[in-house]
Amino acid sequence: MLRKDVNDLLTQTDPGTAMGEMFRQYWIPALLAKELPEDDCPPVRVKLLGERLIAFCDSKGRYGLIDEFCAHRGVSLWFGRNEEAGLRCPYHGWKYDYTGQCIEVPSEPEESGFCQKIKLKGYPLIKVGDVLWTHMGDKDNRPPEPTWEFATVAPEQTYTSKRWQECNWLQAMEGGIDSSHVSWLHSGSLKSDPLFKGARGNQYNQADKKPVFEVVESDGGLFIGARRMAEEGHYYWRITPWVMPSFTMVPPRGDHPVHGHFWIPVDDENCWAWSFDYHPTRALTGEERQAMIDGYGVHNQYVPGTFRPKQNKDNDYLMDREAQKRGESYSGIWGIAMQDASLQESMGPIVDRTRENLVSTDNGIIMARHRLRKACVGLRDKGTLPPGRAPEHQQVRSAARVLPPDEPFKEAMKDDLRVRPGVKQTSV
Amino acid sequence: MGQDLRELFFDPNHPTMLGACARAATAAEARYRVPYPNSATRASRVFALDAGAAEAMYAITEEPWQGAHFLTLANSGPVDPETTGAADLPLAHPDGSAADLMAEIDGADVVVLLASSGENEGAAEVIAREAYHRRIMSAGLALAGGQSDRAVDRTVNSMRRFATVLVVARDNDFIPAMLTALRA
Repeated sequence: MLRKDVNDLLTQTDPGTAMGEMFRQYWIPALLAKELPEDDCPPVRVKLLGERLIAFCDSKGRYGLIDEFCAHRGVSLWFGRNEEAGLRCPYHGWKYDYTGQCIEVPSEPEESGFCQKIKLKGYPLIKVGDVLWTHMGDKDNRPPEPTWEFATVAPEQTYTSKRWQECNWLQAMEGGIDSSHVSWLHSGSLKSDPLFKGARGNQYNQADKKPVFEVVESDGGLFIGARRMAEEGHYYWRITPWVMPSFTMVPPRGDHPVHGHFWIPVDDENCWAWSFDYHPTRALTGEERQAMIDGYGVHNQYVPGTFRPKQNKDNDYLMDREAQKRGESYSGIWGIAMQDASLQESMGPIVDRTRENLVSTDNGIIMARHRLRKACVGLRDKGTLPPGRAPEHQQVRSAARVLPPDEPFKEAMKDDLRVRPGVKQTSV
Repeated sequence: MGQDLRELFFDPNHPTMLGACARAATAAEARYRVPYPNSATRASRVFALDAGAAEAMYAITEEPWQGAHFLTLANSGPVDPETTGAADLPLAHPDGSAADLMAEIDGADVVVLLASSGENEGAAEVIAREAYHRRIMSAGLALAGGQSDRAVDRTVNSMRRFATVLVVARDNDFIPAMLTALRA
């Protein structure tokens, strides 16, 4: 259980909140690059950390992420004209550049310099990989640009998607570090999902439904090891890295691409579930990429033209009780991503953690909360910058391996758990 | 347009009913969750296996726990698990009075082993053995603050065979955080 005040501390991310300020210390994913595909393309509404923003790519290819509303009369700049190196409000023609600086107020004499006095809040927006990233904090404390492996391998080796999840970011993220649910909730998909099936490790997953856990702190967050029995007294280890505040990776299976997530608050009752797949040493095959587009693995299908999942709470996630009975899907929900999301959304927009009953196998979640709380309070009270910002903290991988019983994963898999360019993931 | 939206958002085979997810998962519905204590008090038994762990444990024993018992090894000599039965393990309460392992562990819901060194693997085995026989979960917490990797590995290894969950924590303040989360 978690006290209400701590639950509030960790789940509230609007401006001025402690956790909100902590998220503002990082580069976070804001949009898929394909949402702003070309210069002067239509602007896109973005809501992040409780702030309504508008993103656009100007005539010179510069990305802007600025306050959504015109400083004149409060009109949404989603209606704006993206032209001639700026976004112009269609109401009275006020125009803003990619930093949010007003550069034209047609009703005022140009010589007056009035427009120089108008500036919308603006954040940097940079492209790394398939993703446009923003840093919404103080520019004096801006961290180095993101170096996550999924975003820095060649484009043909990686695929990223995002979906709207209708609950607080923390309960979504906690699902990403909760290894023990895989043997239950996803048991049907391990046998059928094209991005999961066929790996030898799946047999260990399904044969041993009572994994033993080891949780080890890393400089950037945690390594959460789940140990299951393999042959001849050996252990099958699956290691999930978590990097603060909300990056997780799924331990790999066979030669399938490696999956992972970011969980980014939209507001306190919604988040973006970012999902990526990449292979460190080869291009994704056509079949793999198509499976991702089709919603397999950690991805999902969409309501056309939106980032809302096709299976959502308005249609009871297309629950299929017959598929549940047939054993095709343990929960009756199709697809790994929505199996998770459906349950996490069912908890309510912000789960009441004062009523939960954690057990010792939940120690990964307990430790993650503990580290988040400490970092959050340290930043608020002492100005200590939180872990996870440094490039070296981002150079992590998930891994799976069979080890003799007397070898601790932390030592035996030290190299497996860090990025090694040109070396494939360690997997079973 | 209206037609399109219906096709986009509503599946005619799954209309939104009063008990459907769309309504059930709202903040407004959260206030109708049945308010009652959904768990009984747990019996947690926390064992400090060495002097460093005992010091960290003593720092929190006065907090208002929900029935947790805190125990230390009464002397720091190594325990031979082959020759030490449950009744022979020298345990003490924080006030120094003697404690009996079997009495403590009977009816316990969870056993937590705290260690800051690997010096008492034997005691861990005796305690975990009793817990295992009673099908009680054992969690191991290795206190790694200020120690070398090698020393931490020794601590972790001393508990690995016995703990269903093993946590390596850099700071001792994880002890109360974990025990609070587990309703100890």
